[in-house]
Amino acid sequence: MPPEEEPPPTPPVAPVDAYAVLSYLLGGVILYGGIGWLVDAWLGTRGFVAAGIVLGAAAGVWLVWLRYSRP
Amino acid sequence: MHLVNVASRLGAAEGKEFHAPGPGDFEFPPLFGDGTFFTKPMLIIVLGSLAIAALFYLASRRASLVPAKAQFVGESVYGFVRNGIVGDSIGREGRRFVPLLTTMFVFIAVMNLAGIIPVLQLPATSKIAIPLFLAVISWAVFNYVGIQRHGFVGYFKNMMFPPGLPKPIYLLLAPLELFSTVIIRPITLTLRLTLNMFAGHLVLLVCILGGEYLLIEKGGALAAVSAVPFAFSIVLTFFEAFVQVLQAYVFVLLSALYIAGALADEH
Repeated sequence: MPPEEEPPPTPPVAPVDAYAVLSYLLGGVILYGGIGWLVDAWLGTRGFVAAGIVLGAAAGVWLVWLRYSRP
Repeated sequence: MHLVNVASRLGAAEGKEFHAPGPGDFEFPPLFGDGTFFTKPMLIIVLGSLAIAALFYLASRRASLVPAKAQFVGESVYGFVRNGIVGDSIGREGRRFVPLLTTMFVFIAVMNLAGIIPVLQLPATSKIAIPLFLAVISWAVFNYVGIQRHGFVGYFKNMMFPPGLPKPIYLLLAPLELFSTVIIRPITLTLRLTLNMFAGHLVLLVCILGGEYLLIEKGGALAAVSAVPFAFSIVLTFFEAFVQVLQAYVFVLLSALYIAGALADEH
């Protein structure tokens, strides 16, 4: 028999874990940086990688804010 | 039986030069000679699994109101995962995931702690296949329960379109949300655990092998200096024990958070 205390019915606070945030930040940089790299390779340009990385980092931060800033 | 990586150590003995430990120290030859496949990490998995099975068998056999030692340990771990991890993240609904997450926690903790158990002294989780497979299990579970709860379309709609944003923004955020949830999450789960164990083991190797080198190969005044790396190796072993349990906790907590996110009605 496990101990008898019941877990609380709902989480007391929104479960924010810094580690979970990491996937958004990495995802933004890798996804949009990767798209930028592909565009560069396709058009023979330079600079879309950098723009993509910056855009992706910003989008990642924004998404973290959207997901985890709610009270 | 090759319990120590013979090839790289032989090189160290011949040259009288210190060979810094590296990724090669994580490659093990088969234990029972050439042509067989059973290596030291596999041995650790088998022994660890048997130990865990024995613990929970003893814990659940003759369960009584006044618990014996094994029952107390088993219930403490189970209660910790249930109240400390699942209760705080998924809530009451998460009870059906407690057995899975408890098993995962104990398995990872034991595989990690093999890194500081004498003779074994290799965290099996430093081989990427093991964390990878655990991450795949976690990935499959949180996606499955999400699809089960919201339906296939509903789950991805729920995931990719957080409400309350102007429409054009979704063009930017929806692919990112999908990418980070479906692709990056299992990768970070895998790499966090693998590399923590890899780096921790490497640091211990540097201290212990460095001390051994100073003591045996160099001798003289440098032999006395070897006390420093040996002392460090003892301190770091305790630190590793902490990291090893912590990483098991982090892995399971994140799995629980991902399940909670997949079950949530709206983020």
